[in-house]
Amino acid sequence: VIVLNYVAAALVFSVGLLCALGKRNLIKIVMGLSLMEASTYLLLVSLAYRKSSTAPVLSYPPSGQNERTLVHGNVADPVFQNFCITAVVIGVAITGVFLVVVVRLAQHYRTLDSHKIHELRG
Amino acid sequence: MSGVGLLPFPVVVPLGGALLSLLGARFSRQAALVIGTAAMTATLGVLIAIATDVYPDGGRAMTYFFSNEHPHGGHSLGIAFTADPFGLTYALLVAGVGLVLLVFVHSELGHLGKRELGAMACLIQFLLAALIAAGLTADLVNLFVWFEVAALSSYGLTGFFLERPIALEAAFKNLVLTSTAGFLVFIGAGVLYRETGALNLGQLHEVIPAAPTRASLLAIALLVAGFATKAGLMPFHGWLPDAHSPVPGAVSALFSALMVGLGIVALARVSLDVFADLSQIRVLLTVLGVVSALAGALLALVQDDLKRLLAWDTVSQMGVIIIGLANRTADGIAGAVGHLVNHGLFKALLFLAAGAVVHATGYTSIHDLGGLARPTPVLTIAFTVASLAIAGVWPLNGYFSIGLIHSGLEDEPVVLAAAIAAQVVTVAALARATYVVFYRRRPEPYEHLERMRPGMLAGFVTLALGCIALGAAAVPLVDGAAAPAAAVLLHPQHYAAAALGTATSIGSAEVSVPFIDPVELLVMVAEVAAGLVLAVWAIRTDRVMRALHWLRRLHTGVVNDYAAMAAVGIAVTAAILLS
Repeated sequence: VIVLNYVAAALVFSVGLLCALGKRNLIKIVMGLSLMEASTYLLLVSLAYRKSSTAPVLSYPPSGQNERTLVHGNVADPVFQNFCITAVVIGVAITGVFLVVVVRLAQHYRTLDSHKIHELRG
Repeated sequence: MSGVGLLPFPVVVPLGGALLSLLGARFSRQAALVIGTAAMTATLGVLIAIATDVYPDGGRAMTYFFSNEHPHGGHSLGIAFTADPFGLTYALLVAGVGLVLLVFVHSELGHLGKRELGAMACLIQFLLAALIAAGLTADLVNLFVWFEVAALSSYGLTGFFLERPIALEAAFKNLVLTSTAGFLVFIGAGVLYRETGALNLGQLHEVIPAAPTRASLLAIALLVAGFATKAGLMPFHGWLPDAHSPVPGAVSALFSALMVGLGIVALARVSLDVFADLSQIRVLLTVLGVVSALAGALLALVQDDLKRLLAWDTVSQMGVIIIGLANRTADGIAGAVGHLVNHGLFKALLFLAAGAVVHATGYTSIHDLGGLARPTPVLTIAFTVASLAIAGVWPLNGYFSIGLIHSGLEDEPVVLAAAIAAQVVTVAALARATYVVFYRRRPEPYEHLERMRPGMLAGFVTLALGCIALGAAAVPLVDGAAAPAAAVLLHPQHYAAAALGTATSIGSAEVSVPFIDPVELLVMVAEVAAGLVLAVWAIRTDRVMRALHWLRRLHTGVVNDYAAMAAVGIAVTAAILLS
């Protein structure tokens, strides 16, 4: 089942990359990068999965288990979830900056076409 | 307090300084400058105090574990900072040059409002803190975090003047390419953790098998591609020349002299300290280095925008440094480390001077400029000294690091030929720029020349003296700093032990650099002479321009094309590593 997640992550990443390569609209480029970003979260959370594991939450263990058995038992790797939450925070900040730049570009150039915004070249 | 306990402070102090600058600027115009200068001076002081523990006796490495999370049975998940001669050299460079740039930027942009000054000081200190941390950290995901902090600050600095369209255009390209690079590093670090269970660079070195799994190899390829983007190596370089053109001189200097170094430091760690046994990385880095060194220099030769010309030269110089690292001899690596520092000094000086030229005259193209030698003697001397240092003229600092890189390449004639060719073209590009801007007669005088402020003057004098001093003291500096730094990269087991908490003596690498070597001097004279001939040819005729027109045409300025180049680069990187 988890292989499906990897395939989905790879597909979403590719779609995002194709957006960044092929779409001329700046907003669509930003959306492509957001897709790439989302695919990394899906990939990392899926990497944390172990077969028939539970969530790495130690408080309120399910009946018949205590914290110790949970730690030594079968839980999903919490380190990946830490990475993801870090990356989500960074990602939000970057998307914010991205959109500010796009808004100002649109105001200056009166266009969102990336092929018309190439004063810096060569 | 011992040196180890001091390790978090070089990062914490500028981070605090960044926030205080932002707050203080609300109350006073001078606050941002005063707080920023104080914070960076304190940072530099702490780093020097750490350095007295690290450099003596051939070099040592020591590690600080945050929140006291020490490794357990060779496993380490906590964040660790390791002070080793290599990372510390970069951190010292960042703190020292960063201080000069911070003072300079307040002098150059003194006409701005107090909020803008505060925001500028804040972003610069965030960037400097991230770069210092990237030099010190021994944790792959922590390295990713500092990569992103540096990236976010650089977006802010590139697009700082929201009313300049080209600044926004550059910021957008920087955002697309650098955030893609961030995803690559993130995926790479995650997959490597999944495959090996290690985050600590030392642990990663210990547990990675001689023949890594295909998933690990792919992850390493993604890491290399991501860090190569930050280092501005071709074909991941699309953002670099654009980001340097529209920003103030001091910010370009910050990007070129210090920020791209983050990519170099990370690539050095990955290719030499962690995955030292992978021969494919060496091939890959040599290819990236040779392509960047040659194409960057050629593009600099035919560029007309002064700051863009210097930015292309940065691409070329980063290529040269990577060639030295990929060489994996003591000479080559010591030369690369030395060149990272030297490039930091002379490229900062060049960009400050170029920024001051643009600031004073209002022109950016070298064809509109000329004859500045008489009206602005200090600028002329500063730019000339830096150009001579890049050209590797004895006894300035560039001569020694370039000489070391070349002598490391003795067994690889093809790469050596490419490196010498790149050096000749670099000499030509800088000679053309220096002559046209400063020494060529300009038909009509300038209508208005902005006066230079004292802070700017101080920056020029400090950096120019730095170039001269590093050249004059090259022999003891190579013995005392570059050779231990090279040893860290040549002997990954020492670094690995240190990163896992054993205070380790590194020992020094066998590097010799004679102050005067007749053969080296002859090679240098020949390179400079060939470069000058090429420069005259490029100035007198347009044949060079026409011959290289296709290379300029390749850089269309459209963000999609740059992303496509980077995608091709990722594919090539993965293909080489998986082969």
